[in-house]
Amino acid sequence: MNNSKPKTPAAFYTFLAQSFRYPERTWLIGPYFDLLENISQNLDLNKDALGLRQSYCASEEGLEELQIEYTRMFINAIPAVVAPPYSSIYLDKEGNLYGRSAVWAKQFYQLHGFDLAGEEDLPDHLVLELDFLGLLLEEGQEDAAEQFLSEHFRRWFPSFKERVLNGSTNKFYSTLLTLVDFFTREEP
Amino acid sequence: MAFQMTRRSFLQASASAALTTALSGWLSSGAQAQSGFVKKPFTAPGSFGDTTTVSGGVCEMCFWRCQLVGKLRDGKLVKLEGNPKSVDNGASICARGNAGVKLLYDPDRLKFPLKNVGKRGAPVWKRISWDEALDECASRLQGVIKKNGPQGIAIFPHGASATYPMHFFEHVVGTPNNSEASFFQCRGPRDMAYIHTFGVEASESVDMPNAKAILLVGTHIGENIHVSHVKQYLKGLENGAKLVVVDPRFSSSAAKADIWVQIKPGTDTAFLLAIMNYLVKKGGYDKAYVKENGEGFDQFVKAIAHAELDWAAKICDVPAAQIKEVADLLAKNAPHVSIHPGRHVTWYGTDFQRERALACLTGLLGTIGAKGGFVKAKGPKLGKVAWPHVGTEHAEEFALHKMAEKHIFSPPGTPTQMLRDAAISGKPYPIKACITWGQNPIQTIPGQQETIKMLQQMDFVMVVDVMPTDITMYADILLPELSYLERYDIVKTGVQWNFNDKHQQYIAPRMPLVSAVSADHQRKDSVWITNELAKRLGHAKEIQVPTAEAMVEKILAGANLSLAQIRKEDGIHLQPGSDPYGAVYPVKFFNEDLAEAGYSGAPNYTPVPDPPKGFARLVYGRVPVHTFNRTMNNAWLNAEIPENPIWLNQDTAQKLGLKNGDRISLVNQDGVVSANAGILKVTQGIRKDTIFTAHGYGTKNPAMTNAVNKGFDEQSLITNAAVDPETGAHGMRTSFVRIMKGGKVLNIPA
Ligand code: SF4
Repeated sequence: MNNSKPKTPAAFYTFLAQSFRYPERTWLIGPYFDLLENISQNLDLNKDALGLRQSYCASEEGLEELQIEYTRMFINAIPAVVAPPYSSIYLDKEGNLYGRSAVWAKQFYQLHGFDLAGEEDLPDHLVLELDFLGLLLEEGQEDAAEQFLSEHFRRWFPSFKERVLNGSTNKFYSTLLTLVDFFTREEP
Repeated sequence: MAFQMTRRSFLQASASAALTTALSGWLSSGAQAQSGFVKKPFTAPGSFGDTTTVSGGVCEMCFWRCQLVGKLRDGKLVKLEGNPKSVDNGASICARGNAGVKLLYDPDRLKFPLKNVGKRGAPVWKRISWDEALDECASRLQGVIKKNGPQGIAIFPHGASATYPMHFFEHVVGTPNNSEASFFQCRGPRDMAYIHTFGVEASESVDMPNAKAILLVGTHIGENIHVSHVKQYLKGLENGAKLVVVDPRFSSSAAKADIWVQIKPGTDTAFLLAIMNYLVKKGGYDKAYVKENGEGFDQFVKAIAHAELDWAAKICDVPAAQIKEVADLLAKNAPHVSIHPGRHVTWYGTDFQRERALACLTGLLGTIGAKGGFVKAKGPKLGKVAWPHVGTEHAEEFALHKMAEKHIFSPPGTPTQMLRDAAISGKPYPIKACITWGQNPIQTIPGQQETIKMLQQMDFVMVVDVMPTDITMYADILLPELSYLERYDIVKTGVQWNFNDKHQQYIAPRMPLVSAVSADHQRKDSVWITNELAKRLGHAKEIQVPTAEAMVEKILAGANLSLAQIRKEDGIHLQPGSDPYGAVYPVKFFNEDLAEAGYSGAPNYTPVPDPPKGFARLVYGRVPVHTFNRTMNNAWLNAEIPENPIWLNQDTAQKLGLKNGDRISLVNQDGVVSANAGILKVTQGIRKDTIFTAHGYGTKNPAMTNAVNKGFDEQSLITNAAVDPETGAHGMRTSFVRIMKGGKVLNIPA
């Protein structure tokens, strides 16, 4: 799938998915922060968001700090990874990767006309799930998106978010988690 | 945070000019990664519910290499089974083999190259790209080579995937400083002793299924599980073989024994010498075989003449009558007797001589080539992939044991103790870079404080592993390796497990059961990593194979096979084998080379220190569900036996007021206390002067979230290891311990 331009609502999810990829200068650039600030402003989150550009766009030390924090929170760390970004960790009692909830997610993708690019990709990574929501919305599958959120995503994301917030004081990720929450929470 | 706005209203309002501009600005910046999805129309419902079977797996939960198939459901590995085509393990695999699924999906596994931006030993990790990681490894290794020569690099490898890099550093880069745990902390003395007795390696080449008697000295099959080996052993027992087990402890093997010799630890060689002396004097040995094939027999007879039954009885603390009973039983059943060479034999620093004694007994009974005796299978021939030996000469020149003219009968590599001493002292030359590949030297090598000292003085430490074991905490650059389920590497060969069955040879390359590529990690195999390093170190032209897959193809080509063919044959190629019986090896009862080098030419017994008053000797072994530290974090296996048991004699326990299930720590003769507790097992089945536990527990790296601080690491208590003079291998059943409970130290009553 190439980067054909997503429709507006879909693009927000693509944007959030991108935000939880490994921080690199290739994408942590001006236009990214322009959009982050704009969304945040609309949601009255502008104070935090303004500082983010300062910290992570302008300086290379800032980028490295973010990379170290990402590694610690999501990849490998001592004493322990703060919050592995996979549903299986939160929903399946053994806490291993590729649990039942991951299998469920993969089947859901397939039911709705998508499959993972790689056969060994773990289906339930936060990035993939957000990316998938964007794809659904782009195709106008709003009901499916809502079903995915209620039957799967919202069952694990709050625990994940809590672990990140308890385990890290990083403003970039706390801001983005707030945005993910906004874009995925249940609404009346 | 309570938003003013609902998502719906936000999305509706998002057409606001500023936001639209920002959005299209971001979209046209092209800074979005490729989507992780492809479009794929949904086909028939339920089509993803079926499992498919993938063959070609070779297990590495331990190093026995059982052949596997994987059951996959829509890309997820759901089960591992023995390959039904296997003539080795057959359809069976052990608990660890089954639990390989949990290794594959262990969230604690290493995923990306990591750079330590904190301290060695207290790391802070930063994910980096492979290019950055390899560039840094190469430039820092190059720095050490420039300053200190290739010998300034030490490597600590383990496992099939480590062979390729190990040979690169030895033969191309040219460092002799290679310390394999499988030799210097495990099998080295056995392999060297048999080579210098029969001219061939021992392996575990005993034909147990067809034996009339089996002798196990310290070997505890059943606690130590290797599937086809267990099958051989049990078949032998089923066929009525008499079992003799020499062990201070009522092990699972002792429980099946016809004769259990509850020997005092450290005295096995005296026991073996007395048996041989008794048989020689009585004439109860294979005179024809010895006459035909024995060398230095008269000198041997003279050298062991002092080893009377009573002499040994006193030393070994077993009745003379029992030693005689064992000797008679072995003689009566000869030549159909399996004298088991053992596997982990680095016990007391006198181990080469004990192994020599086992080999001599094997020869004395004329069991070589006989049904039930010492029989080596004739395996299939394969092609070879080898690095050119452009640096070997340099390596030889700087081999520490050769420079010091010590440990003349060392297995390949450099004795660990010498390597570590040299690194710490800088003499005779500095050793400033360290590479560990699949080995966890923190737990494999005794004397942890020295090992840490050695690591701390290095200019550069590079670690390659699958899991974040303790050694990974000392890495400057930590590289993630693919697991055995995701990579090509070794080509396993062998023959049917029972020589009594139709003679067949098998060839089974390790092929991936699941894809090596995933969006969730960037693990690589050792051939790729080594080749990339080789290019950066100026050795591109020495590279013989571009990939692990090509390496396997080349090896298979030597047998006129290919991966495609093996796939067609369900992962295992079978071909007719030949009768292994009737082989003849010379037996050097007295070895002139040994004598010339200043060692004892005939096997001899050297006493080892007794436990001081108030202490017991610490011996260790395995539990059937774990392979050292490698499996400790595995969710299933961890749940089975999470902490190590500590066996203590019942009378001792009673005197000390301890009971079964108590959590106790141990403190050794140097005052080192085990970091965590183990679970007390009170039993009559262990001598009073001996305490037993299982190895591999007590992980210190918190990144192993299941294993950390579970049980204790008995290696931390081995601070007085011995060194085997002939081979330079460590002896590790040398520690003496007391018990700690509730902060109080308890003396072990005599
Ligand atoms: S004995 Fe068990 S762990 Fe070892 S290779 Fe066989 S199945 Fe795997």
